[in-house]
Amino acid sequence: MEFSNLRKYEDMLYSCSRVGDCRVSVRPSIGKYGVCPVLEHSPGFEVYFARGRILLARGLLEGKIKPTEEVVRVFYQCMVCGSCKWSCNQSFEESVVLPISQIIDHDKIWEAIRADFVEMGIGPMPRHREILAWTRKEYNPYPPSKHADRLKWIPEGEKIPQKGKIVFFVGCTNPYRAPDLLIKYLELMRAAGVEVAINPDLWCCGSIALRVGDRKLGEELARHNVEVLKNIGAEVVVTHCAGCYRTLKRDYPEIVGELPFEVKHTTEHLLELIKDGKLHPEKELKYKVTYHDPCHLGRHCGVFDPPREVIRSVPGIEFTELRRIRYNSWCCGAGGGVKSAFPDLAVKIAKDRIKETTEVKADTLVTACPFCERNLTDAVNAMKSRVRVLDVIDLVHESTITK
Amino acid sequence: MNEDRILRLLEDVVGSEYVSCEEHVLYAYSKSNDPALPERMPDYVVRPGSTEEVAQILKIANRYRIPVIPRSGGCCLTGGSRPIEPGGIVLDLTRMNRVLDIDEDTMTVTVECGITWAQLNAILGERGYYTGCLGPGSGLCACVGGGLSHHSVGGGGGAKYGPCTANCTGLEVVLPTGVVIKVGAWASNFIDKSFTLYAGGPMLAGLFFGDNGLLGVKTKAVLRIYPVPEYHACKTFALPTKDADERATRILYEWRLKADHGVLYDAFYFPPVSAIAYAGALFGQPLIKGWLTEKGMPRDMAVVFYVIEAHTEETLHANEKLLDKIAMEHGAEPLGEEIHEGNIAKWFYEKQGHWQIYHPLWCGTGPRIIAMTTEHIAPIKRIPMIQKKLDEWQRKHSAELAKVKGIAGVGQFLMVEGFNVEVTSGIIAEYRPENMELCRKLWIDQAKFLTRLGAYYYMLGEVLSMAVIDAGAFSGPYYEFLRQIKYTLDPNRILSPGKFYL
Repeated sequence: MEFSNLRKYEDMLYSCSRVGDCRVSVRPSIGKYGVCPVLEHSPGFEVYFARGRILLARGLLEGKIKPTEEVVRVFYQCMVCGSCKWSCNQSFEESVVLPISQIIDHDKIWEAIRADFVEMGIGPMPRHREILAWTRKEYNPYPPSKHADRLKWIPEGEKIPQKGKIVFFVGCTNPYRAPDLLIKYLELMRAAGVEVAINPDLWCCGSIALRVGDRKLGEELARHNVEVLKNIGAEVVVTHCAGCYRTLKRDYPEIVGELPFEVKHTTEHLLELIKDGKLHPEKELKYKVTYHDPCHLGRHCGVFDPPREVIRSVPGIEFTELRRIRYNSWCCGAGGGVKSAFPDLAVKIAKDRIKETTEVKADTLVTACPFCERNLTDAVNAMKSRVRVLDVIDLVHESTITK
Repeated sequence: MNEDRILRLLEDVVGSEYVSCEEHVLYAYSKSNDPALPERMPDYVVRPGSTEEVAQILKIANRYRIPVIPRSGGCCLTGGSRPIEPGGIVLDLTRMNRVLDIDEDTMTVTVECGITWAQLNAILGERGYYTGCLGPGSGLCACVGGGLSHHSVGGGGGAKYGPCTANCTGLEVVLPTGVVIKVGAWASNFIDKSFTLYAGGPMLAGLFFGDNGLLGVKTKAVLRIYPVPEYHACKTFALPTKDADERATRILYEWRLKADHGVLYDAFYFPPVSAIAYAGALFGQPLIKGWLTEKGMPRDMAVVFYVIEAHTEETLHANEKLLDKIAMEHGAEPLGEEIHEGNIAKWFYEKQGHWQIYHPLWCGTGPRIIAMTTEHIAPIKRIPMIQKKLDEWQRKHSAELAKVKGIAGVGQFLMVEGFNVEVTSGIIAEYRPENMELCRKLWIDQAKFLTRLGAYYYMLGEVLSMAVIDAGAFSGPYYEFLRQIKYTLDPNRILSPGKFYL
């Protein structure tokens, strides 16, 4: 067995000191209460958190362990949420640097091993294969949705340019599953007097393919999208999807080199418009709001403050933080292909977040990722909870547009 | 032995979800925090959820003569939480992690031993309490059971409270035969809160303190709790490198001698090589940026620091003044008050860095760097001698160390109970599979060398428990006494076989 992708990160594997901070670290002084949601919802053996997985990866690399179906399954039971990375030798103090925090990038290890499984034909999980097959055919992960229908949600008569300096990258989840949010965003842009382009030739960003190890497909999608964006003169690409954002912002430059455009999340964009006085959230909303950091937006890309600032700009809102936030945030459970391959696990993890929401006595859990929103909503339904799950865009829209 | 039958028996005890004999699951238990040691896979991993389940597992192990290794956080640096010989059962106790009782009448907390020191102290912290000694430096992952099995110290509070075992007032232990006993005041049928060890006849809890998992499986513990004092001060000093060991020795000794009782919470000494390395001379990048010169170079210095606690401002200030005076009389110069100014004591105490300060020494210094620890307890006054002798040992083994790109020495000395320090000694080297045998040889050699100089190890695991015997540390009658206790409690020798060659 040749683990050529994993081998690139050999130094990381052999730098793990096995201290175990990736197991259950609790450090109230920095707001850390736990590390791995999968471990918490598993039988709890060492293979269900980073330390054991790194040892297992070494065993695979050294040929001591065979990559059985069960081994593959273990490595796919991970959201690649980055919590283990942000627990490993992290001083949380700028002037104190623990070297291993600079050496081991857990997410890269998990994705490399998945890429090897794919190349060996033993990964990804069966449900992922269906999704990827459809993405290859129709450039979106939601069979039987056709690419041709991606922009069907745009209200009739609405004139949206296909080219422009600011391009709205709508992704897949909302166009095919919950287009209302996109319409709300467009209404906000109209209110702000900002012209955004939406191009019908843009495909799935490639996040799912890259996260579950199909690099070939992920790179193909990335190259296509960058080419399209280049050709339509994009200077700023805005997306509301945390998964798309991470992929455009971090993966694309690794695949194609420096991007000829800037990537912004809608929360960053909305904040700019509010600060510039172009958007005026005026209607008071009497919600007790808390915010869930999407991993791809927060831990992966460091966007923590813009969504919070936008929420706080809405009058009437009572904002409370969850117990686990920012780098120590608790994943919703949906990412890394877990929602599609292990839906029950995903919802169990999301329930943790709903419980935390009620613990801080919030009635509204706001997030900034359609994938998180969907999984958190599934948890609310499963728990028959009264917590309302919204996107930041929903809040701003209700306060700005709805009269 | 019919392996399927054993699996079924174990499943009957804990349920099929919590037992595994799958290769990939077992492989993840083939190491503890011991990068130089080879992997040793058990045959089964079991995660019991109660004392009764632990007892039943040990009875099965006795019936079928299966070795059992208890493990919780898996943080033993010397191979203590994985099998010494391949096979057997690893008993993963981390499911047993509940706080059972916080009793403010006796100021004790009763816990299941699979709880981490960090989890426990977070819960206590909500009520303004802590466990005093916060366990080992790996306390974010390490558990109460492992700490008590090693006399752990170093996670904070070592100078004030001593090792964690000094703060334990009762234990529930499953003996290797599966019999459950309670030691401490709990041993009485008429006492439900184990408030003390110091009555009721022989202090049998001592058998299990620091036993490295040899004599029983700790399932519940009663620990003292203390109110976190309202006031604290943290100060870090630069010390000239000339005669640094002697100066630091005098400072630590006088701090201990003169500070008001119960004020000195922690006191550390980083020798010059260590302090300069932390500032980046060895590791290629600064670990502690405040220890750099204005030009960004590692400052040529050694470091001492203290953390003091007090219930009144007056006591705090009086002691602060006294300790500062002592340090400065011996040539120490205070660094700035903030963490970025090099006040590492502040990070240590206020940001829970005490559970991370050791990471760079546990091989976390760079890619593929491994550590082999010989950390031990010694009197403060022996610091200069230990340093000198370790230098001699390093010179003698310089050619072999060069082969593995190794460095030997002491990371830091930290004050523990009495006039003693914990000495974080050992070797760091580059990980190369072909070098591991030589690394282990050097490790064992240094361990025996230090043993003969009077090093007293507390975390012995596989490597150090054997090295002390090989070095001839124990007299014949003492070792025979230990052997008789072991074989009486564990007639089939199923629990942690191999440690101390027993």
